[in-house]
Amino acid sequence: MTTIRLDSVSRTFGAVRAVDNVSATIEEGKLFTLLGPSGCGKTTLLRMIAGFAEVEAGSIWFDDRRIDTLPAHRRNTGMVFQNYAIFPNLTVEGNVAYGLRARKVTPTDIAARVEKALERVRLPGYGPRWPHQLSGGQLQRVAIARVLVIEPAVLLFDEPLSNLDAQLRTQMRVEIRQLQQSLGLTAIYVTHDQEEALAISDRIAILRSGKIEQVGSPEEIYQRPQTAFVAEFLGGANMLPGVAGTFDGHRTEVASCGTSISVHGKVAKTGQKLLLSIRPEALRLAEVSEGPVLHAKLVLREFLGQIQRLHATLPDGTQIRVSTLGSLQVAATAGAALAFAYDPAQIMVYPAP
Amino acid sequence: MNGFRYTIVFGALALLVLFLLYPLSLVLDASLRVKGTGTFTLANYVQIFASKYYVNSIANSLLAAAFATVGATLIGTPLAFCLARVDVPGKTVLLTLATLPLVLPSFVAAYALVLLFGHAGVVTTALRGIGIPMGPIYGLTGITIVFLLTLYPYVLMPAIAGFRAIDISIEEAARNLGGSRLHAFRTVLLPVAMPAVLAGALLVFIEALENFGVPVVLAEDRPFLAVDIFKLFAGEADNNPAAAGALSVLLIACTAMVLLVQRRYLNKRRFATNARTAPPPLPLSPGWRLLATIFSWGIVVLSLLPFLAVLFISFLHFRGPVLTWQLGLSNYSMLLEGSFRPLYNTLFLATITAIVATLLGAPIGYIVTRHRGVLSTGLDMIGMVPFAVSGTVLAIGLIIAFNSGLLILTGGWLILVIAYVVRKLPFCIRSSSAIVHQIEPSLEEASINLGVSPLRTFVTLTVPLMASGLIGGMILVWITAASELSSTIVLYTSRWSTMTVRMYHFLEGGEGAGSASAAAAILILFTAVPLLLIHRRVRRQDGTVL
Repeated sequence: MTTIRLDSVSRTFGAVRAVDNVSATIEEGKLFTLLGPSGCGKTTLLRMIAGFAEVEAGSIWFDDRRIDTLPAHRRNTGMVFQNYAIFPNLTVEGNVAYGLRARKVTPTDIAARVEKALERVRLPGYGPRWPHQLSGGQLQRVAIARVLVIEPAVLLFDEPLSNLDAQLRTQMRVEIRQLQQSLGLTAIYVTHDQEEALAISDRIAILRSGKIEQVGSPEEIYQRPQTAFVAEFLGGANMLPGVAGTFDGHRTEVASCGTSISVHGKVAKTGQKLLLSIRPEALRLAEVSEGPVLHAKLVLREFLGQIQRLHATLPDGTQIRVSTLGSLQVAATAGAALAFAYDPAQIMVYPAP
Repeated sequence: MNGFRYTIVFGALALLVLFLLYPLSLVLDASLRVKGTGTFTLANYVQIFASKYYVNSIANSLLAAAFATVGATLIGTPLAFCLARVDVPGKTVLLTLATLPLVLPSFVAAYALVLLFGHAGVVTTALRGIGIPMGPIYGLTGITIVFLLTLYPYVLMPAIAGFRAIDISIEEAARNLGGSRLHAFRTVLLPVAMPAVLAGALLVFIEALENFGVPVVLAEDRPFLAVDIFKLFAGEADNNPAAAGALSVLLIACTAMVLLVQRRYLNKRRFATNARTAPPPLPLSPGWRLLATIFSWGIVVLSLLPFLAVLFISFLHFRGPVLTWQLGLSNYSMLLEGSFRPLYNTLFLATITAIVATLLGAPIGYIVTRHRGVLSTGLDMIGMVPFAVSGTVLAIGLIIAFNSGLLILTGGWLILVIAYVVRKLPFCIRSSSAIVHQIEPSLEEASINLGVSPLRTFVTLTVPLMASGLIGGMILVWITAASELSSTIVLYTSRWSTMTVRMYHFLEGGEGAGSASAAAAILILFTAVPLLLIHRRVRRQDGTVL
């Protein structure tokens, strides 16, 4: 059980600040996800914790031990790599025992612990096999067993599921989450897949150009994005520019996309430019209009099974996305007029960029 | 890890400066001084360009190299396409046989040409017997033919890899857009494979320009650069080290320029389309397939014919220089009568060279691949310098450098090993670097992450992973060191004579045709047998030979 503390950590590559003055605390036993688009610095940050990227400024602490000054092989972290990094010249048993041998554990202990770790990742009896005989999912399990067996202070996951197919990916992430929770290990998980991040994490940090944009629980991040970037990155919110109108004591009318959109509370002075964020699922197809309504014309309907996604244009031609239940009947012809009801309280307002 | 890195980088740089750059700078220095007094002068260069003989020498060398390059490209490219894309029967065997000329000693092929088509050659005599006169094979014609037959694999191997790396979907796209097969070949396949072809072609040019063994056998008295350098430096009649230095500098300038052109050209063109699987064979009509088969087998067999002829002739009895049709081992007994010493020397020198060059090249290749930085880039560049330096020139530099002073090496075996190791180092660095490229860096990181120190990770994980590739490279070094002539001929002493030197002397004497053929046969066995044993591994590394 380890608390990880990042204290003003920085790293530059040439003129690029890959990691820019990042501070964060990861409480013991929690799974903390670094989420962001490629090039945001999430992998660099993880590699700094593992000791494979130099920390230029700041410090990293495991409880009250400073670890960024230690060489990588003394940090006692367990890293799971994107491409598994299974040693091709060793059997499954040899791979899992690798860290124990480095720690000079006695052979009888090694055998027992390796078998236990393989059982834990549901590969009992796979010890004598060679890596080339295993599938991608099995290799990833071996990689996980290999780090679990050394009982690391923290687990580090570098996009561990990105090389697996979609079905295996959802299955493995459940397994990873269950293992992490049952062992009570502190874990840092890097991914660019927002669904994976929301599903697996205790807390998520959204990174953008080396800086943390927002930290919070999955629910907080999704429901209350603090910046326009987070709102757009997570859940693909519709971002609509607008100009604030008058406040009627209850709502503010915002002129946007050739129409008027009601927003809860006094969000800005009249005439100020704004950016509205409306989640695709915040708009509901409305037969009878009660309360504020957005009128749009259907462009394209994508049927996805559980849900269907409607692409529609607002009066000025701006295209928006709307998610509705798949079972809902929708006029399928392009150009059909649609009305969407919404709750003004669900619309987030950000200053115009 | 930093300690390890700096030890390797500075150790390697020190060795290369001492045994490569310092000797070469002395050659340059010698070319710029008046013989005897040591004052600065350009007279040596003026003298060369004023002399018709030396201008001819440069022109002949450049011409032979240019002809060989064009010919090798014209033969190698279609052959590569046949081997990459046509279902030629016996393709696996063919591919293995096609690698042989790369390592078989080219002066043996030149000697075979003399045996067959020379003044007293088997074919010449036979033709003369029935009244058909044969033109002379000596000079530019013969030299170009030998270069062509022995150097075309330099184009063939990368071109095969180039054609195989083109994903079938690219070709299908061209066809889908309305191009005929021929059109697709001309507009897509050939241009995409072209950088690989040209890289190989420029290598043919450099190898041909530097080659000493072929012109020394076939030039007779005609001027050729590599031979003239040797004669000017070591000859008894017209000894003139300063002129030798000047010619050497000109030779290095030519090869270095070609090498730079090659690097620059390749840096701009990287068309690899990373085929997941090699493209399937073309569906050809039986007629075309037969034609491709005859062409492929024809070229490969033709290129091996000289070597087979030498092997056969080595078992025939010579009466003086005249060949008889009696089978026997008289040539071998004559060769070994003198002494087993050259045979032992060849084995000893090649083995030491293979071990040292691999031990040096492997960590250098590792560092230039894994650690990008000013130091490793510099090391990478200096490590490639021996490519541009002919063996004769390097050997001359080593003699000037270590004939006197603090470190005297001339006369012993060490100076031979040093010359060989320096010459083979670019190959070792390249092949080790290619092996390291195939090892995911995350494997080493995983090992470190699990608690094994970086140095131990290198020794216990990386080295075993590299081992199989390194052994293949090591055997190739052994083979090429065993058949080395161009620097040996400058550096050997009677105590440290080798099989190649013995053969050279038999040829020079004129009387020892029989012994020469036996020596040549032994050299062929030394090179062909180990190569055939490791042919799988070698084929995988074809790209790294370059």
